[in-house]
This record gives sequence, structure tokens and C-alpha cells, in this order.
Amino acid sequence: MSPTRLCVPGDKLCSVEDCILGTGVYLRHGYIYSSLAGYVLKKNEGEQLPVISVVRETEVQLLPDVGAIVTCKVTSINSRFAKVHILYVGSTPLKDLFRGTIRKEDVRATEKDKVEMHRSFRPGDIVLAKVISLGDVQSNYLLTTAENELGVVVAHSDAARAQMVPISWCEMQCPQTHTKEFRKVARVQPEYLEA
Amino acid sequence: MAGLELLSDQGYRLDGRKATELRKVQARMGVFAQADGSAYLEQGNTKALAVVYGPHEIRGARSRALHDRAIINCQYSMATFSTAERKRRPHGDRKSTEMSLHLKQTFEAAVLTQLYPRSQIDIYVKILQSDGGNYSVCVNAATLAVIDAGIPMRDYVCACTVGFVDETSLADLCYAEESGGVSSLALALLPRGGQIALVQMDARLHQDHLDTLIEAAMTACKGVSKVLDQVVRQHLQEGSTLRE
Repeated sequence: MSPTRLCVPGDKLCSVEDCILGTGVYLRHGYIYSSLAGYVLKKNEGEQLPVISVVRETEVQLLPDVGAIVTCKVTSINSRFAKVHILYVGSTPLKDLFRGTIRKEDVRATEKDKVEMHRSFRPGDIVLAKVISLGDVQSNYLLTTAENELGVVVAHSDAARAQMVPISWCEMQCPQTHTKEFRKVARVQPEYLEA
Repeated sequence: MAGLELLSDQGYRLDGRKATELRKVQARMGVFAQADGSAYLEQGNTKALAVVYGPHEIRGARSRALHDRAIINCQYSMATFSTAERKRRPHGDRKSTEMSLHLKQTFEAAVLTQLYPRSQIDIYVKILQSDGGNYSVCVNAATLAVIDAGIPMRDYVCACTVGFVDETSLADLCYAEESGGVSSLALALLPRGGQIALVQMDARLHQDHLDTLIEAAMTACKGVSKVLDQVVRQHLQEGSTLRE
């Protein structure tokens, strides 16, 4: 699995009968060609044909794709939706920010019509969400937090600007003033919590 | 008519090159750290700087977004000090807009835009010193910048400007030859597959000479591609040793 040789865009790597297409390559007339300048990587996956891909030293800009879990920061809220800036796709930070929208009916899975946006998100919150659509001409990426593991992960309290501690799926408490505030809180997996 | 001979009897041009000889090409990739990709290329005395940003979210007019691929936004400009007389209007004039459009068409043919729906790739090229073959040098510099940015492409895009004089094709014209009344043709080629991305000519040429001229242009482009290939491989080697 160690990287073998250098290749440049347009290099013919092999025939499509020998390998399966990975990333950084394209198919033309039955042959696989490289589309990036980097190292050729051939991975063997069981009895299937090896997967051939071209990797670079630095990662290419990743675009949020449908179904990806993204980390975003809320910029403004409205009674109908919340506007966010997408900061991370999975665990890769984005160089440029992308804009997203979380609609009122996508905030949680149950009682969708009874959602109140100001009791779910506030500007400045860090939210884990999933991409449901790339959006059309008018809108940005559409995101959803309608799962237990999605929602607010970091929030700061109004009064003391301290980081709040989650108490339940809909409340967070400030450690200094002990006031409770409403948010749609994400249930963090036990393995991510520090001991 | 007194004047300089574009092609002497012994077959030498104004700058001492032979008819099929290219100018010296020197290039560097990754000159700017803040851009996603950048390259500096010199072809003889013509110097160009290319910078690539992207792929990123579409800025401004969201109605331009394409649902299945990325849009390529090119801007060509010349530095005010790039020509013999100080340029009054570096961008926005008709020639720059036309060049930007040609660059856009050229790169739309080579970049695999289907991988980035609803996003935008920006290519900015600036000519720092203009001595003929502006379009070709821009295309070559932009190819290196796009490769530096890690944006997938079908193949290199190499371009060359050729001219026809005295029944001979001259490869890689300089400014004196271009303005000396040579019918010049600019050609952008994907060298591996031999596919032509763009042909541009606005002079008069007899139909019988067209095939020869295009052949000469394709040979010259393949020569340029060899040099660009070396530059890319060397840059990759340097990058990898740093990582090790």
C-alpha cells in the first residue's frame, strides 16, 4: 500500500480491467488516466480488483456532500430558519466558508410544527448538522439536526459568556450564573467525552 | 520596404531562433502561500503570473450556479508597466474581456468540473511583461497554477502562438514578429490525447497553409508540454522531500 510513483494529469495508469477507479483519476476509452499531480496509490481490497487513486501531499478543498456531517456556526436566526456558516466537513476544516440553512421543520424529528427557533439555536452556537441538499438557485446548503446526535454542541450563555453545560436534550445550564437556557442539544457519543 | 527581416535567408529569425525553435521557458509553482494554487511562468521575455482559488461557494450572482458542475471564472489583466508605453486601462477593456473569455473556454474543456457541482473556480492571470504570445503564456501559467491547486484536469493544457511567413511556420512569436505583419494563430492543446481546446486567429491566411500551420502549432505545444511536465515533476519531488 506504500505510494509508488509520481504522476501528472493525463498520465495513462492502467486499463479499466485491471483496477477500479478511485479518487484523482478518470476513465477514457477503457483506460484509467490520472487527473491530479501526485502519487499513485493502489489498494487491495479482498477478492475485488485493486482500487487505484492519486493522492497529493495537501488535501484538496473538500465540498460538503449530501449526507455528510458538518460542523457549523449559527450566524443569524429567524422564526422560520437559522443561517449558518459551515466550518468543518467531518473532521477536515474548510479553507473557505460555505453558507447553510437549517429550516424550522428540520430542527428536530418530532413535533416539527411546535419548534421555536430562539429556543433551539442562538447566534454564535456551534452546531453539528447533516447536509440534506446542495440547494437550488435560491438557497444555500440545506442542513438538518433532526437526530439525537445532531444539534448544539457548544454554546455560550447570555449573561456570563461562559460555555454552558448540557443538562438534557433541550436545556443547557451556565456554570457561573446557573441559569438554564433552551437549545436543541446534541447527544455526544460517550467515547468523545473526556474522562 | 526597409525593415527587419522576419526570416533571414539562413533561416534565422529576429532574435536568432530557428523557425521551429521555442523561447526559453522557466516556471515556478506555488509562489503564493495564501492562494490555493499559483504559478509564475516566463517564456522568453513574456512573464505571467497565474493564481487559482477554489473550488469554493459561488460569490455574487447565485443564479449563475450550475447544478451539475463548477463554473470557471477567469480574469486576464496586464500590469500597467508590462508594455513599452504605460497601459492606461489594465482591465475591463475589450481585449482583456475577450482573453478572459478564451481562457474560460480553454479551461472548461480541460478541468473535470463535474466533480464540483454548484461551486466556482477562479483563475486570475496577470501579464507582468508583454513580449508576444500573451494568450499562450497565460494558458501555460494557468495550467501550472491549476495543477498546484490540486484541481483535477484531464491533461495539461499547453498553448503556443505560431505565425506564417515566407511559406514557413514560425513557432512561438515574439512581439516584434506579431506586430510585423505575420498571420498569427494561437492554439491550446491537450498534448496527450492531441485534442485541441481552442484555436484563435484574426488575420488572413490562405486555406492551403492552414493545415501546415496547425501542425506546427501542435508540435510546438507538445514541446511546451515537455517543459511543463519537468517543472511539475520537480515541484512534486521537492514537496515530497520536505515532507519526509
